[in-house]
Amino acid sequence: MLEVRGLRKRFGDVQALSGIDLTVGRGELIGFLGPNGAGKTTTMRCIVGLLSFDGGSIHWNGSPMSSDVRRSIGYMPQERGLYPRMRVHEHISYVGQLAGLDRATADRRASLWAERVGLDARRDDLIQELSTGNQQRVQLAVALVHEPQLMVLDEPFAGLDPVAVAMLSEVMAEQVDQGASVVFSSHQLDVVQHLARNATIVSGGMTRASGAVDELRGRSPHRYLNIGWQDPDVGWIPDEGERVEGPMGTARFMVPASADAAALIASAAAAGPIVSVSFEPPSLQEVFLAETAPVTQ
Amino acid sequence: MLVAGREISARARTKAFRIITGLLVVLAIGVPVAVALWPSEGDDLRSVTLGVSGVNDATQTAITAAATDVIEIEFVDLPADEVESAVADGTVDAAIIADTELWWNTDRDNELGAVVGQAFQQRQLITRAADLAITDSELSALLAPTTLNERFVDEPQPSDDIAIVVAFLGLMSAFVLPQLFGQLTLMSVVEEKSTHVIEVLLGHIRPRTLLIGKIVGLTALAAAQLLVVTVGLVGTLLLTNTADVPSSAWRFVPILVVSIVGGLLLYTTLFALLGSLISRQEDASQVMMPVLVPLMVGYFVGQTAVFGAADTTLIRVLTLFPLTTPMLLPVRVARDAISGWELALAIAVMVVSVAVLIRMAARVYEFALLHTGSRIGWGQLVRLVRSRTFS
Repeated sequence: MLEVRGLRKRFGDVQALSGIDLTVGRGELIGFLGPNGAGKTTTMRCIVGLLSFDGGSIHWNGSPMSSDVRRSIGYMPQERGLYPRMRVHEHISYVGQLAGLDRATADRRASLWAERVGLDARRDDLIQELSTGNQQRVQLAVALVHEPQLMVLDEPFAGLDPVAVAMLSEVMAEQVDQGASVVFSSHQLDVVQHLARNATIVSGGMTRASGAVDELRGRSPHRYLNIGWQDPDVGWIPDEGERVEGPMGTARFMVPASADAAALIASAAAAGPIVSVSFEPPSLQEVFLAETAPVTQ
Repeated sequence: MLVAGREISARARTKAFRIITGLLVVLAIGVPVAVALWPSEGDDLRSVTLGVSGVNDATQTAITAAATDVIEIEFVDLPADEVESAVADGTVDAAIIADTELWWNTDRDNELGAVVGQAFQQRQLITRAADLAITDSELSALLAPTTLNERFVDEPQPSDDIAIVVAFLGLMSAFVLPQLFGQLTLMSVVEEKSTHVIEVLLGHIRPRTLLIGKIVGLTALAAAQLLVVTVGLVGTLLLTNTADVPSSAWRFVPILVVSIVGGLLLYTTLFALLGSLISRQEDASQVMMPVLVPLMVGYFVGQTAVFGAADTTLIRVLTLFPLTTPMLLPVRVARDAISGWELALAIAVMVVSVAVLIRMAARVYEFALLHTGSRIGWGQLVRLVRSRTFS
């Protein structure tokens, strides 16, 4: 388990981190969210050991993070970090060896991962000959070649097409199923909501919210009632709440979280025949905006 | 070793490195071979035409014998009344008449004159010996050469030309290799920063390990390139007998190797340090100047040591300055202008400097590697290293 407590870091006059808390359990996938400049990358660099920190602590399985543990982390930096003139298989194997694998094992794993990320046919191509998306696939293989127990992925979905996003999501889920702890940052909150069970939201160098994604959404004082009437011109509005913009053909109402969903639906049905209905908490994106609004403004 | 291996592999397979190494090997082997095959002037004897009129065959044989390995003589029979005109119009270079006269046109050919004179002298000796009833064996005994032992009070030194050539080659190697491979090191560091691969590397290894691997790898590659070229050159010289490899070369070679390896370690470390201060290849020229200055000073002072006095005060001082030691040490050894204690002290200072510099550079490297954007100034660098808070 990774436990980050009260992490602080200053760059000259800038206080980049002023109290970051983050917990990632074994076999857990956690989304690390925050606006630009919130301190996500700095926190990840501190975890990996690229940066020292001024205060707070980072523990792995109850002990301060040792250099050996750091060396074994699967790290994917925000910027793609690859040698342009190395070949795909050679690069994956090289980083595997840097992470402590012997040559034969690293070569074997490099072949496996090149195949797993869909680059088997291009294993002897130079990195610079690959598209941006394929370079990102190599980056993922590089992060996973030594089969890390802790993965720190900084914006792994940036610049990927939907096929690559699906592949990357699948690989991350596999690693979690095998017991790895995975923390990843992303601005694609729909992907995070779909992929991660837990999320930590940071802003201004501090942790603002943390917990299960459903729980974070559930903490909102609002709910959304979405109703599709057979006759789209039905003018029903709940007693407590307001109509907000919703998808085409569906009326969307924001109501208090304490509202009785069954009673509301019954009332709406009385106004006209219903073809679809849903009652849900706000999306992760709305929670994110609400948590970070004071700082981003 | 892993980092060193990657550096060697990455640089050795670049087209530029292969072409340069190939050209150097071709030159090292080709030039001595070409010199050996090319006919020099000394291979062919000078040819002269000698007119003869009423000259005994034995005299001609004696002249031919005396001219062996000196000049090549072609005899032309002339009627007595055409001798003067043949000499005058250059048909023959000189003419002998009746075993008594040697005719020239306007200038005397001293070499030909000496050869003909020696032959005539020999003929006269044989004739007079016969008149005095001296037998051939008695005559041979009389004329048997004596052995004269020669000794030098001041033993002559081998040609200074060879020492100068060796010194110059040593200077060039010690100047070019650290500069070339130093810049390769700088480019390698900047590439790792600009492509952000440095973040992946430092997730697994320490900055010091990365720095030392890079320095060792590129130094080994440079040394291997030099070795290949040197073996090609010396081997070809020995096989073709194009030039004698002086015995002093075997004393010079180890010093050259120490100097070049020391120079490579010093300069690749400095260039790596400079590379860590910038994030773009375009900024390289700005930061290289402080390191190019001692290189240039060493080269120019080294040239004065190659072609002039090699033990002036300036040269002796700069021999002990670690950044110019690699260039001046081989020159002074080749010119035999350095004392034993100076040699030992210079090498010791260089070795200690390499150790100290790598230690310092590793510290700077640690703080500067993850910096991106504008170039880090020297003052800023010192503050950052002292504060240990750099990101």
